[in-house]
Amino acid sequence: MSEAIEVRGLSYRAGRSFELRDVSLTVPRGSIYGFLGPNGAGKTTTIRVLLGMTRRDGGDVRLLGHSIPGELPGALARIGYVPERPHVYPSLTVADALRCHAAFHHRWDGVWAEQLRRQFELPLDRRVGRLSKGESGKLLMLLALAQRPELLILDEPTDGLDPMVRRDVLTALLDYVSETGATVFISSHLVHELERMCSWVGVLDHGRMVAELPIDVLKSGIKKIRLTDTPVNGHHPPFEVLSRGRDAFETETWVVRGWSDPMVQYFDTAGATVREVVDLDLEEVFVELLRSGREVTS
Amino acid sequence: MHDEIDPRSPVPLYEQIAARVRVAVAAEEYRAGDALPSVRQLSSTLRVNPSTVVQAYRDLERDGFVETRHGAGTYVRAVAAEVREEERIRRARELVRKLLAEAARFGIGAAEIGRALAEETGVASHE
Repeated sequence: MSEAIEVRGLSYRAGRSFELRDVSLTVPRGSIYGFLGPNGAGKTTTIRVLLGMTRRDGGDVRLLGHSIPGELPGALARIGYVPERPHVYPSLTVADALRCHAAFHHRWDGVWAEQLRRQFELPLDRRVGRLSKGESGKLLMLLALAQRPELLILDEPTDGLDPMVRRDVLTALLDYVSETGATVFISSHLVHELERMCSWVGVLDHGRMVAELPIDVLKSGIKKIRLTDTPVNGHHPPFEVLSRGRDAFETETWVVRGWSDPMVQYFDTAGATVREVVDLDLEEVFVELLRSGREVTS
Repeated sequence: MHDEIDPRSPVPLYEQIAARVRVAVAAEEYRAGDALPSVRQLSSTLRVNPSTVVQAYRDLERDGFVETRHGAGTYVRAVAAEVREEERIRRARELVRKLLAEAARFGIGAAEIGRALAEETGVASHE
């Protein structure tokens, strides 16, 4: 079976200041794929290009096997999308918005939509433009879920929402995924939120892919090593050094990739002592990847 | 009990979930015939990928801790006392390894830890 999303060599240029350069990504079916990147990296632009809303300059895009933009209607019928900014007319009431979406999606699940609406406490007669930020976020997720998509493309779906609303929204999403096995492509700069959920992670920075890996692989080999005494140069380390510096307490600290425990040996021979090998969380890994990626290009 | 997973740890989440259930079985917090939360329930509560829970339950089933009854959920199996004992010993070793690693950061050796442990548990140390 084809992948849920396949992008090869995507390029896009907007003026001089911004471009997507040779972006390739593969989102396996049934995965929850975290699309990470700092603000301005090009995540929203990439998503807009995927969905045919922005015209690309080069490259190939396939969504659920449909070639984009040629077979866009077929793809869109199977995809739920939560945009970065609300796309529902502000003058519609919640009830209107639900009816309107139901009319466009042939797999619309009215019963479940109503159940979610109650659970999310969205008043039927409230105008969309008058919803709070949290309510609006819940409505957008509801609209994307109730069409029962095979693929969800979510652009910062929880950005700016309070922790309670965020939890409600993500719980509804995971509930749907356990029931249907749908694929989720979710962009965020809120790394902690994705850490538990994602099976795959892609990192975009300055319009280029910096990494794309299963999350366990991404996290397992990267460590922070605290040392006493700086190692004597001259030996080639058996791991890759992403950065070296001093921590808040002035202890020599290295961030390395490809670490395994027997490599402590290297420091012994180089005249330094390993005090501690610290696991990094996804956010720290993310920061290190961006830093090393930027050093290579500059 | 399921708040105890740590996304930061390099131990994959499915292993953490499986380990948590094994510990609960070893401590007889879970007994034969008890139902585990459904995949859907647990993935929502922990906010983890449902496939992570599926993987954890599959590993537990392979190791004989639980059985999946089709369409009816996942249930704890009767686990021999020796297996529970093994699990407790395994867990104890893990805790000690963690403790020793932490102690090493401060330059504290095994002998000092041993004395402190004896004091804390009220066992007289033999010196």
